[in-house]
Amino acid sequence: MTDASLPASGTPRELLAGLGELTRRVRAAQRGAWFPLLLLGVLTLGGILVTRLTFTLEPVPCPPTDPTAGTGCTLARQGSPVYWPVGLALAYAATAFFYIRRSRARGVGTPVRPYILTGVALVGLVTATAVWSLRNGMPQPGEPLDLWGLHLDPASGMTRFLARLAGNATAVGLPLLVLARVERSPGLLLLAAAYLAIELVPLTTGWSGIPFTSPWSGVPRYGVPGVLLLLGALGFGLAERSHRRNSV
Amino acid sequence: MTAQPSRPVEPDQLDPHPATGLDDVVHQRVRLGILTIAHQARRVEFGFLRTALGLTAGNLSQHLTVLEKAGLVGIEKGYEGRRARTWLSLTPAGHQALQDEVTQLKRLIHQIEQGGGPARES
Repeated sequence: MTDASLPASGTPRELLAGLGELTRRVRAAQRGAWFPLLLLGVLTLGGILVTRLTFTLEPVPCPPTDPTAGTGCTLARQGSPVYWPVGLALAYAATAFFYIRRSRARGVGTPVRPYILTGVALVGLVTATAVWSLRNGMPQPGEPLDLWGLHLDPASGMTRFLARLAGNATAVGLPLLVLARVERSPGLLLLAAAYLAIELVPLTTGWSGIPFTSPWSGVPRYGVPGVLLLLGALGFGLAERSHRRNSV
Repeated sequence: MTAQPSRPVEPDQLDPHPATGLDDVVHQRVRLGILTIAHQARRVEFGFLRTALGLTAGNLSQHLTVLEKAGLVGIEKGYEGRRARTWLSLTPAGHQALQDEVTQLKRLIHQIEQGGGPARES
């Protein structure tokens, strides 16, 4: 930066405009959203491998309340209970470390604390909800689902929405909104909104041609949000690089 | 509806001109730049300020001394490895002073746009 950054000693309007320009330059020096987006994108795509490696099919007795099910039913299990909590906790710790190191190297403080605290708290909440669900087991057909003492109808739209909400939408999407706020970045706000829409809107995965009984059923579920996060990381990384080049 | 006769305004009823509310310590453009950067950054290093404002180390030090004596900034010196680092942050009085300055500047702009009449408190 040059001394052109100093507020001009002209009219009050010029002075305020100069202060606005200084503020924009400091914000640009503080931004580093490409790094958490890269980590979260890689973690999300890693979810595809985890679902593939943990995929099992086991024969189970069909529910007696469903006469159309036949005599033999198959239960597909996939996913690891530790992958997301541990992966997300490590991602938030690495992001905090990244921003602190960058702050020291560039000599300008970072506003990232609200993002990290929100992320860690929500990962804790999502993990606690998952543990509750595991301990209370899946409900028998016709029985209500016990979620933190709420007895919900498993087939209702609200229950399905809550199930989607108690996942990466909360542990990844909501903290991204906080990061967009602290970095004052409309682009990141747009990306966070798109991510939340993908996670919360009940889209079917039939378009991918991969049935849910396939070991690769995680591809459409994690591929779309993972690629979105990686594209965001690429975009913000290139924008930051271009900004640094222009300010030298 | 009847028109009310306009009463003459006594001089002591006029609000002071916004320019009189500007604090000389804060209004100086380099110091205003320092306060603005520190406000946004929360904590800023001497070298960043020097580069951002295009100042020499001596010149920046003089301005920081003025701001520190006025109680508007806090200065923290330390080492990172063998490298000496000086970090600066705004005190609550510094935040207030910057906010007051920006408010007065906006009032001044408003007054100029209204044709130069005295500004009144709403």
